[in-house]
Amino acid sequence: MAVPLLSLIVFTPAVGAAALMFIRNDDAVRWIALAVTILDFALCIAMLGGFDTSTHEMQFTETHPWVPALGITYTLGVDGISALFVFLTALLGWICVLASWVAIDRKVKEFMVSLLAMQALMLGVFCALDLFLFYVFWEAMLIPMYVIIGVWGGDGRVYAAFKFFLYTLAGSLMFLIGVIVLYLHGGETFDIRTLMAHDLPFQVQSWLFFAFLIAFAVKVPMVPVHTWLPDAHVQAPTAGSIILAAVLLKMGAYGFLRFSLPMLPEATVHYSTLMLVLSAVAIVYGGLLALAQDDLKKLVAYSSISHMGLVTLGIFTLNLRGLEGGILQMFNHGVTTGALFLSVGLIYERTHTRSIADYGGLMKAAPVYTAFLALFALSSMALPGTNSFVGELLVLSGAFAANLAVGAAAVLGALLGAAYLLGMYRKVALGPASIGMRFKIRDVNAREMAAILPLAVFVLWIGLYPKPFLEIIDASVKHLLAQVQGKGGAQ
Amino acid sequence: MTAAALFQSILASLPEIVVVTGACILLILGQLVRKGQQHFLVWASVAVVLIAALGTLMLAGEVRPAYSGMFVADRFAVFFKVVFYLVTVLTFLLSRKYAEIEGIGSSEYFVLLLLALSGMMIMASATDLLSIYVGLELTVLCTYVLTGFLRQQQRSNEAALKYVILGGVSTGIFLYGVSLIYGLTGTTQLDRMAAAVTGDPLDPGLLLAVVFIVAGLVFKVGAVPFHMWVPDVYEGAPTTITAFMSVGPKAAGFAVILRVFLNPLVAASNVWIIVAVIAAVTMALGSFVALVQDNFKRLLAYSSIAHAGFAMFGVAAGGADGVASVMLYLLIYAFMNLGIFGIVIMMRNGDFSGEVIENYAGFAKSHRGLALLMLLYLFSLAGIPPTAGFFAKFYVLVALVERGFVMLAVIAVLLSAVAAYFYIRIVMVIYMREPEGAFDPALTPALRATLAFTAAGTIGIGLFPAWFLKLAQHAAIGG
Repeated sequence: MAVPLLSLIVFTPAVGAAALMFIRNDDAVRWIALAVTILDFALCIAMLGGFDTSTHEMQFTETHPWVPALGITYTLGVDGISALFVFLTALLGWICVLASWVAIDRKVKEFMVSLLAMQALMLGVFCALDLFLFYVFWEAMLIPMYVIIGVWGGDGRVYAAFKFFLYTLAGSLMFLIGVIVLYLHGGETFDIRTLMAHDLPFQVQSWLFFAFLIAFAVKVPMVPVHTWLPDAHVQAPTAGSIILAAVLLKMGAYGFLRFSLPMLPEATVHYSTLMLVLSAVAIVYGGLLALAQDDLKKLVAYSSISHMGLVTLGIFTLNLRGLEGGILQMFNHGVTTGALFLSVGLIYERTHTRSIADYGGLMKAAPVYTAFLALFALSSMALPGTNSFVGELLVLSGAFAANLAVGAAAVLGALLGAAYLLGMYRKVALGPASIGMRFKIRDVNAREMAAILPLAVFVLWIGLYPKPFLEIIDASVKHLLAQVQGKGGAQ
Repeated sequence: MTAAALFQSILASLPEIVVVTGACILLILGQLVRKGQQHFLVWASVAVVLIAALGTLMLAGEVRPAYSGMFVADRFAVFFKVVFYLVTVLTFLLSRKYAEIEGIGSSEYFVLLLLALSGMMIMASATDLLSIYVGLELTVLCTYVLTGFLRQQQRSNEAALKYVILGGVSTGIFLYGVSLIYGLTGTTQLDRMAAAVTGDPLDPGLLLAVVFIVAGLVFKVGAVPFHMWVPDVYEGAPTTITAFMSVGPKAAGFAVILRVFLNPLVAASNVWIIVAVIAAVTMALGSFVALVQDNFKRLLAYSSIAHAGFAMFGVAAGGADGVASVMLYLLIYAFMNLGIFGIVIMMRNGDFSGEVIENYAGFAKSHRGLALLMLLYLFSLAGIPPTAGFFAKFYVLVALVERGFVMLAVIAVLLSAVAAYFYIRIVMVIYMREPEGAFDPALTPALRATLAFTAAGTIGIGLFPAWFLKLAQHAAIGG
């Protein structure tokens, strides 16, 4: 392949960010950021257009030496799993720009630069096929995200930014040690494909499994290292929350899929029950906490913990339905929770309150908005016909096959989801209009529609016809499963 | 010594001779320069360093032992000397305006810096405990004076006095170790020491000697338990001198430590256990105490203690990669630390001391470019990719894990997570607070050049570390 398509996808936002530094006009900054993210999205569509779904091999690979003395290369490539998340990231890129169009009214340039830098780094994480390169992208994300939360966030932004930064850093540093150990045990290479083929002794696998677990569990986040998430979500600006929920949280799960499962199969099989239990705890605990929230953003944040528990549950069932469901659910969660945060952001811009108690009867004032809110709430609680239903069904059937008790916990989580989401919708949209909500609510305008409609389309598309999405990941998931069972199952 | 050998020796030490001669000439010329013409001194000093650098690079082709085995010009020394030249030239550029503002721009200032440079160069090349001593003393004597250069300020005088007394004690300890070594082995040359010992390398007398030497050297790099002078001296000294000391003499100290520890005799005495403990404790102390500092210079002092600790981990790892990792670490540290000091020096203007962190609140609002540079240096010091600071730490960790010291690596990264807090706290102050007053940084072309150069190094080595890594690895094997 002559055109380095993945490099283009990764570095287009970075170049855009660099170019923005020289622009003074705020409106020009917004339009250029939008143009860059849409261009990036178009490149991503082109990549998917040429994507071969029949193979699990890495596609569009590029390799250049980077630090030959340590076996570090610049290698990019995607398989079905990463292609799906590259697509999700690129999609949310321009939605985030639209979401912050008027919400960010000071230091617009700096914000867009951070957003685009973030975009480039996230795409890099999903494309990297060199462990060192992966780590550089992974860790460098802390810088723009710290700035996004800390500068443009709410009142408690500084605390939230610190908490986010230190939690993630501490987790990642353990991962770094794991990476170095893996490098030295795996034949002094950082190439992910070579490392996947390498057999490690069980003892080493166990250590590495827990080193990786710390990093990925913080990112997912799994209970008990989830406490940074509600703070970060609540304080971050809308676009920051969308990025956090839709993409950043996926990286933890992606880390399990890319490293823990194929590289440490024996340890994965050995500790899968532990992971299932942790996931089940997260599902129920997150759901219970969400039930008790009055702050809209906090509610969505805790629901994220619950839903991400479902994702890790699906992954560690280690069967085909569970894995495919988990991965699809990652995508779904990105779309749905991204949309929910966007919805909360839209209404917050109008009312400047996130307290559910302040709302009521919103349906009369903003019918289109509440229709969207209903759709996303229903999607989040996995009503048939929406995207999450497909994913959740797959995960549940995988979970029951793996472990009955854990499956039951997952069902309980789904019930809780229905309780807090319907409760939230009832209080916000239905009933008599609350005092403050009677006159001043403006319905969704064209720009907001452009941001929210695509997400609604994906909700229904995956809900009604998930085949194309499952097809993308199918070959890769089967291969992944073979890797785990081939080595891990043999013990 | 024959004439030919003498010629060879002079050739090998030509850069040192150039620097010392240049310093002497400048000392005389400085008396003739009229007031207002001081910038001439800056450029003349820079020229002296550049000539020496040219000489070093031209002689870099081969290993040249000199002065009957007391001195050697090898690739290891060349690497360190390049770092010293870099540090010294950047210090000159930073000093130009600052010296004017503080009223310390006399010729002695530049002459003393040049002499300190020559001392550091001797340290990098010394292969005998006595020539090490000469280099060490030449360096610290100059920095004693430079520390007290703000004659009107009490804290500068106090710092200099503290430094002299504590430095004197550490020198005494070092010399005592040397005398023990001489008594036990009959030589002070690093190469011959190992050969002279026939018995058990773990002879308690020898171990004692090694401990004394280690203690003397550890003082110079500011590691625990001989770190007490660092915060006071760094705070009291003129900021340009603090910048210089935090990278130059510290790197020279590490050059000596590496040379001494590469020595088979020392390596056999299990000294790495001491070094590992020193490294961990140093890093812990630097990181934790820095958390509560309000003064920028004091914070950077503790940060430099923490960084010395991290580099010490590389020494503890040992081996070719361990040595190379320390060298690369020091090179990268020179870039990022001079960068952040450049900002602090620049802020010293008028009534603004530039020393209180809170005074930087909202700096990003009015000075976007400079704030972005600060962000870069601070994240690099914290070790976040893609900056060079990350690669420096990464390579030390690789060296540690390679030698099986996984626990040390875990300690190192946990402590660097602690250290990250106080760096990003400064980022928070400059980006997330509202400004209380206007800023008026003394931004001269020389300062701009320094900042651009250090920023290019900080980001450039981070993105393209391959060439620098190879350089360090070659030089390490040469040692």
